[in-house]
Amino acid sequence: MTTPRPRAVVIGSLSLFVVLFVVLTFELSANASSSAGKTQKTAKARPAPAETKTDSTPEVEEEAPSEYAEPEEPAAEYVEPEAEYIEPEPEYEEPEVEYVEPEVEEVPPVVTTSS
Amino acid sequence: MIESIPHTLSTQGWWIVSRSSAIVAFVLVTASVFLGLTMASKPVRKPNFAKTMRALHEQTALAALVAIGIHVLAVLADPWLKPGVAGVAIPFVLSLNRFWNGIGVIAAYMAFLLGLSFYLRQRIGARLWRQAHRATIAVYVLGLFHALGAGSDTGSLLFLAFAGVTAIPIAILFVYRLGAARRSSERQRLAARARRRAPLADTAYDTA
Repeated sequence: MTTPRPRAVVIGSLSLFVVLFVVLTFELSANASSSAGKTQKTAKARPAPAETKTDSTPEVEEEAPSEYAEPEEPAAEYVEPEAEYIEPEPEYEEPEVEYVEPEVEEVPPVVTTSS
Repeated sequence: MIESIPHTLSTQGWWIVSRSSAIVAFVLVTASVFLGLTMASKPVRKPNFAKTMRALHEQTALAALVAIGIHVLAVLADPWLKPGVAGVAIPFVLSLNRFWNGIGVIAAYMAFLLGLSFYLRQRIGARLWRQAHRATIAVYVLGLFHALGAGSDTGSLLFLAFAGVTAIPIAILFVYRLGAARRSSERQRLAARARRRAPLADTAYDTA
């Protein structure tokens, strides 16, 4: 049995590294291209990747109208007319009763002298 | 899918490097520990076999140290994780999976100290080195728990199968190694006792 050369271990390790790198890159790219996979697998490994956390949400919001512009729903223009009937306030004012006590002028009795 | 590869590499490239190097490091540590335990249990008593095993053990250990180094650097460079130097250098500082990443940092330190101590064997003495080298199994165990607790590929069936299939023979070899070490120390003690008695017996024979 001959002593193995270090080259075998180095080549084996590098090969394994390259294979893993390629497989993981393809896996993540496939997940990124299908939004459903992205939310399932990537989210399991990384709760909130940097680009998902910061960039993706506005991108989706910006790109969505260019691909499929959903017709805007017409705003409801019917405005219920406000009731304009104003109940007239009763304007009848009861006249204040000003009772003025008639001044009684006391006229001194006229004394007539009859002879 | 192809068109999204550059985007994936630019945003998650370091994460992919750290995952790949971590798996390579775990495979190499597992291989090195398995070879070391097999070598120590001496299943075949041939000089060439021992020489081959020792060379493979050393090469896999050194390659594992390189892979661990790449893993640490990739984690450090990860723009999403942003662990900082303290996060990768000091155990239990990184807030994400604090415990599992903390034992990973300890395992990395142990791997470097125990692995490179082989080259200081003549300075520190063969006996002390051998005693310290027995702790290498802790690197494997801590690395396994670090991978299971904090690894992104913990759910992968392939990884679980590899970890399970290799953990069982390593555990058996380790238990066997412990028993062999106990038997060896018992034999040495008996031999020492016999040597102490032997001169007395010779003296008695001579006087008679």
